[in-house]
Amino acid sequence: MNEISTVTASGKIVAPAEGWKVPRIELLRRGFPLIFLVILVAVFTAMSPRFLSLENLSTVLEQGTVLLVAALGMTFIIMAGSIDISVGAIVAVSALVAAVTSTSLGVWAIIPAIAVGSVCGCLNGLLLAVGKVPSFIATMGTMVVYRGLVLYFTRGAPVSIGDDSFLDAYSGITYGLPHEVVIGLILAAVAWAIINYTVFGREVRAIGGGERVSILTGIPVMRVKILMYVLLGALCGMAGLLQGARTMAATSQLGLGLELDVIASVVVGGTPLTGGLGSITSTMLGVLIITLLSSGMNMGGVDPYFQNIIKGIVLVTAVFITIDRKKIGIIK
Amino acid sequence: MTLVAVGLNKRYGPTRAAGDVSITLRTGTVHAIVGENGAGKSTTLRMLGGALRPDSGEMTLNDAPYAPLSVADAAARGVALVHQEITINRSLTIAENIFIGALRRYARPLGIMKRGMMARQAQDALDRIGVKISVSTNIDRLNLGELKCIEIARAISSDPDTLLLDESTAYLDHREVDAVLTVMQELKSQGMTIGFVSHHLSEVLAAADDLTILKDGRFVGSFAAAKIAPDEIHRLMVGRDLSHGTYPPRPSPTVPAAPAVLRVREAAVGRELNDLSIEVRRGEILGLAGLKGAGAEALFAGIVGDEKLRHGVLHLAGEEYHPQTPRTAWHDGIAHLPGDRGNEGLIAGFSVLDNLVMARPPTRGPFFDRSRARAMSADLIKQIGIRTASADAPCRSLSGGNMQKVVLGKCLAVGPTLLLLNNPTRGVDMGARVEIYGLIRQKAAEGLAILLSSEDMPELIGMSDRLVVLRQGVAAHEFATLDGVEEHDIVKYMT
Repeated sequence: MNEISTVTASGKIVAPAEGWKVPRIELLRRGFPLIFLVILVAVFTAMSPRFLSLENLSTVLEQGTVLLVAALGMTFIIMAGSIDISVGAIVAVSALVAAVTSTSLGVWAIIPAIAVGSVCGCLNGLLLAVGKVPSFIATMGTMVVYRGLVLYFTRGAPVSIGDDSFLDAYSGITYGLPHEVVIGLILAAVAWAIINYTVFGREVRAIGGGERVSILTGIPVMRVKILMYVLLGALCGMAGLLQGARTMAATSQLGLGLELDVIASVVVGGTPLTGGLGSITSTMLGVLIITLLSSGMNMGGVDPYFQNIIKGIVLVTAVFITIDRKKIGIIK
Repeated sequence: MTLVAVGLNKRYGPTRAAGDVSITLRTGTVHAIVGENGAGKSTTLRMLGGALRPDSGEMTLNDAPYAPLSVADAAARGVALVHQEITINRSLTIAENIFIGALRRYARPLGIMKRGMMARQAQDALDRIGVKISVSTNIDRLNLGELKCIEIARAISSDPDTLLLDESTAYLDHREVDAVLTVMQELKSQGMTIGFVSHHLSEVLAAADDLTILKDGRFVGSFAAAKIAPDEIHRLMVGRDLSHGTYPPRPSPTVPAAPAVLRVREAAVGRELNDLSIEVRRGEILGLAGLKGAGAEALFAGIVGDEKLRHGVLHLAGEEYHPQTPRTAWHDGIAHLPGDRGNEGLIAGFSVLDNLVMARPPTRGPFFDRSRARAMSADLIKQIGIRTASADAPCRSLSGGNMQKVVLGKCLAVGPTLLLLNNPTRGVDMGARVEIYGLIRQKAAEGLAILLSSEDMPELIGMSDRLVVLRQGVAAHEFATLDGVEEHDIVKYMT
């Protein structure tokens, strides 16, 4: 036992009122991502000296941007205690829309891409908030629908992106800075401000901390839930656009399995799936870890078929460490 | 079977849960352990029952050394422990619940259960403790007191000589407490030694032969129940004389009467509230008495819009009022303190500040105004007397009483005109109660209209200006004044 107080079912408390200290498990939860990152860098540098080169790190940042943009949105969802596994499919839909509209709209293909992403997210939000379908099931269904839409319209064929203004805007380089990395960091700053400085950010956190308390305290739970899914959808729209620009095409395979990386990034960063806690800096750290892990395994020559096994283990380990078991009660 | 403990100690980090507790459970007697919340009652009982191992201290059972390593170990020595929480699984039958720890005993080859035999033995256990429950009853029809009795039957089924009953009856209503007391008397008459933990003094005096008083994790003393006066027990528990001053004095009634803040006409909500008409005036505390499910909770849910009104009309400040959602209720000046602090009142993992400003966070443009939130919470912490290391400490680091003050602070932060209180001092120690009562009375004096629903009779009598007794969703009786009203005057309208 440590200093943390214990609340029994009847609300009785066995507790010190003052001198509350951060319990050890909490310190582990906070320190874990950073420790993991250091170990990762050390191992990969030992395996391949090129790993720490400026060139490689800049590639890592470019690769990580799509993941980062989607993970920013996922941070809100997980903080509220929900989940969304349709993110990869939304990214694919948005990339397709961006690819199709870029020929006529050029740079402004961003508008339909984000709009379509938002609509997809809004649908998820409505299913959860109004339809009361658990988010895991709801987004599992919509994942199949969104991915199916892409397959239906493309018949599996890739749609290439040839518009120079579009490609230059979203994957060009200015003063040595890749545009997508700058966009990703600006969006991260905005998401950070929303979480820390707006009422909406606090309400998302409150819903994750205790939904019933939030309802009875007058937080517009339904509205907040829909809004956070729209936000995630919009960010996935942006992620799809950036991914399309990077690969100069939208394919039906684009974003396949991305949901695992996105959720892993948020959780590995230290945001527990049980909700109520979370931060953008944690998510950025998590994105860095997941991207470095993929990149390092590639450079280190780890069998590509083996890489998924390691990623899965990392995800489960992160959940194991971060999850608040008092809150889930019974694990089913 | 005499159980003697000498100098038991138990610490959690810097916190003393029980210090130097010595207690003797004499054969065939009922021994009560009393004290405020956090005094160490449950800790002591759990050490006796093997659920906790003391850091130091000696225990003997009939002069033989006794140091149980687990509840099962204690049970093997004839000491059975009934936990404070209700641990009945409602998806199992009564018999299965009673024999939950020994189901294998009733297994045929291939694991098929001997249901008939189990039911018979379960009925025997129930009959032995003298409760009139048939094992074939659907478990959903039982009330909390009856569920507690089933737990006792479960403990008895291992045929112990000593029963330890952790019953902080804060969650049981009067009828249910009586059922548990009856069972205790029955077992005592069969020669069993009983140790029990309780919140309520009247119950202790009715049932106990001996009593041990704890305070702040320290042992105060053991007494023969017949030789100590209730006031004296109170004084030893709390460390001050509470015979006067638990409840603040009522103001003299104002003439003419203040205007009604809320008027409820023939309201029906859910299954519980059927047809209720009441009104509460400015500056008035209207008490609502009744058993669980008599309608007070449904009324609150209806007023704040958490549940729909089936029919009926509400008037708020003279104008017709249609509750929509809790959000609109808060907006319209109705603050609500729910009965379940952990799941409905506050978010224990969040800081005191976060909880205090949750209902109406201060904003500057689209942004949360952190500096005003800080000023607001500092004010509330001071005004309400919340004892916390800082506004940023998580609520779960506070005592039950201070957590409840945080919920109350959240309600008062919005400057309400109507305050709904559902068991505001449940699980709150006596010291914090007195402060909460003072605060409620002060807010009423400032003009707040308050509806107070409580299972704590002395609290209702001490705090209400007027009292309505609810029974099966309708008003069974109204006490226009509570001067000279006794608990049993109210209880007789409740059933």
